[in-house]
Amino acid sequence: MKHTGIYFGALLGTVAVMGQTTPVPPEGMVYVEAGEFIMGSVYGDPDERPRQLARTDAYFIDQYEVSNGEFAKFDPEYKFPEEKKGNAAVVTWSQANAYAQWAGKRLPTEKEWEKAARGTDGRIFPWGDTYDNTYVVWDQKDTRGASIAKPESPYGCFDMAGGVWEWTVDWYQPYPGNSVPMEQYGEKYKVMRGGSNFNNHSFIRTSQRYYLLPEDLRAYPVGFRCVKDIDVN
Amino acid sequence: MLKKTVFRPLLILVGCLYIPLAAQRIDQFPKKTDPLYKKVEMFDKLMLGNHWNEGTIMQYVIFPPAGLERPIIGPQADCLDPTSEMLAAYSYKYAITKDPEDRKIANRIFEGILKLEKVTGVSGLVARSFNQTDKPLWHEKVFWYNEWHPSSSMPNYRWLGDLSADKFTSIFYGVGTFWEFCADAAYRKKAAGLLDRFIGRVIDDNFKLTDLDGKMTLWGNFCPNLPHQELNSLEMLAALKVTYRVTGKERYNAAYHMLIDRYHYDDHQINSKILFPVAWRNVGDDYHAARSMYMLMRYEEDRSLMIKYKMNLNRHWYDWKDMKFDFESSIWFIMVYQVLTDENIMTKDRQRAIKDMWGFDRGSKVFKVPQEDGTFKMVKSEYEGTAAAMIRNYWFGRYYGLIDEKW
Repeated sequence: MKHTGIYFGALLGTVAVMGQTTPVPPEGMVYVEAGEFIMGSVYGDPDERPRQLARTDAYFIDQYEVSNGEFAKFDPEYKFPEEKKGNAAVVTWSQANAYAQWAGKRLPTEKEWEKAARGTDGRIFPWGDTYDNTYVVWDQKDTRGASIAKPESPYGCFDMAGGVWEWTVDWYQPYPGNSVPMEQYGEKYKVMRGGSNFNNHSFIRTSQRYYLLPEDLRAYPVGFRCVKDIDVN
Repeated sequence: MLKKTVFRPLLILVGCLYIPLAAQRIDQFPKKTDPLYKKVEMFDKLMLGNHWNEGTIMQYVIFPPAGLERPIIGPQADCLDPTSEMLAAYSYKYAITKDPEDRKIANRIFEGILKLEKVTGVSGLVARSFNQTDKPLWHEKVFWYNEWHPSSSMPNYRWLGDLSADKFTSIFYGVGTFWEFCADAAYRKKAAGLLDRFIGRVIDDNFKLTDLDGKMTLWGNFCPNLPHQELNSLEMLAALKVTYRVTGKERYNAAYHMLIDRYHYDDHQINSKILFPVAWRNVGDDYHAARSMYMLMRYEEDRSLMIKYKMNLNRHWYDWKDMKFDFESSIWFIMVYQVLTDENIMTKDRQRAIKDMWGFDRGSKVFKVPQEDGTFKMVKSEYEGTAAAMIRNYWFGRYYGLIDEKW
């Protein structure tokens, strides 16, 4: 009974936007409607709690992570092997943020990222609650769009589990109502989401949070995707 | 976790942090044509002489000038695998020789694992490795995750966190083997105490390896409420079986049966081996599965569970039977299979592979050493890999009668 309210609220959030005209997303992006969704988890790390109803405005989000080839259009000095042109770009937070601004977009908040990945129903993975290795990109040679089953998130995003981590705009902070202390909270670490091809299955859950120094990339493959605000006028 | 680090130039590191703990450097290598027992004997001296770090065994050693006067940890920044292998090696060896010197070395290696726990300052939290130094060493910023911490319990030590399921397996395999084959009553008690604290902490955290920051480590997931690899289910069942046997505490037996009865870990573990696509077969994962099955299947008496564990072994054998011996532990898989099944599968080719076992060749390369001003200095140094698995393979084979002492 405890979680019935959360599910009901998420359902209402979905119903509330029905009947509205869906904006046409720019090429390569998908539309996420405004409303509430289930954020966080009960069984994950303490920083994922409390599981809660969160809300976002409507926004567009990239279907895929930004690729090496796309990033090189912004930064011609960016080097990568030609055969990895289609792989996700692995860049620092500053580089990702600069690209987003150049593209007329921005990095997603944690809320936006999580909603785009899991929809409104609180699912564990972008495709649901079950797991199979063919659902995710485990191949470190081909990191983008290369899973065998190619599952989409409820809003049509790919690779939000596995492949490379993804930067969010947010500092690593506790959720409202979280009372478990962590010395890492503050404005030192940025939050990355989605896990990569080098961690256990739990790290690719939609609610998993991880923190990283924004300019330290030596061990974690971190890419990004952008969001774009919708002009309500 | 992820503490800001401070760097010192290489010369200061080498000049100020010299601590005369290391044994004299060993430079004598065997020839590939030497008999197996001689190769093992010489690699054993190399490992104990050059890789020794206060009881723990370094996997990869960099010599001066890029390294310190004593071993400096290399790219893997891990010592638990080779330390566990050397502990197991000396345990099997002692079971054959009954030589007090062999037991003494095993005891000292076990004490090294105890120090890996002590250095973290948290009961039951075990480090991947440690170094006696009051300042970050240059490799901390280059080789591995930024998971080095100053020790709160051992002044002038730094330790590496983010323990993985692989190292979890190294601990219960190495310590369990030591308890079974080598330890006297006093050390059996110490071994039981370590496993009780280590595995007990994992249970307390809902079957997760949690780090100093309270978050689950990158690979430390055995939790029934979280999605995890099938291999991790196997590893957790094996760990609980060993810990119950070693400590005699009912909580480990209860946890074992809870994971089976309520969460079906016995079914989940069957598919530990990924067979298809073929490119996804992972010999490293096989090693952890082999160690887990070796410990689990010798202790389990329930026939219905044994059938499921044997299914897991059979799925591995489907790949192992045709495996090339280009990984240090591949030949050990064959030996483990024979020990667990009592089938005679030791062909001439496999015996040849055992006789041809080799440790490592010393290499030389240029290391990119970070400097205080943000630049890098290129420093050429010699380095060594590990022979610990080969030495363990040898004494394992000797103990189980798979290797002739004259080979």
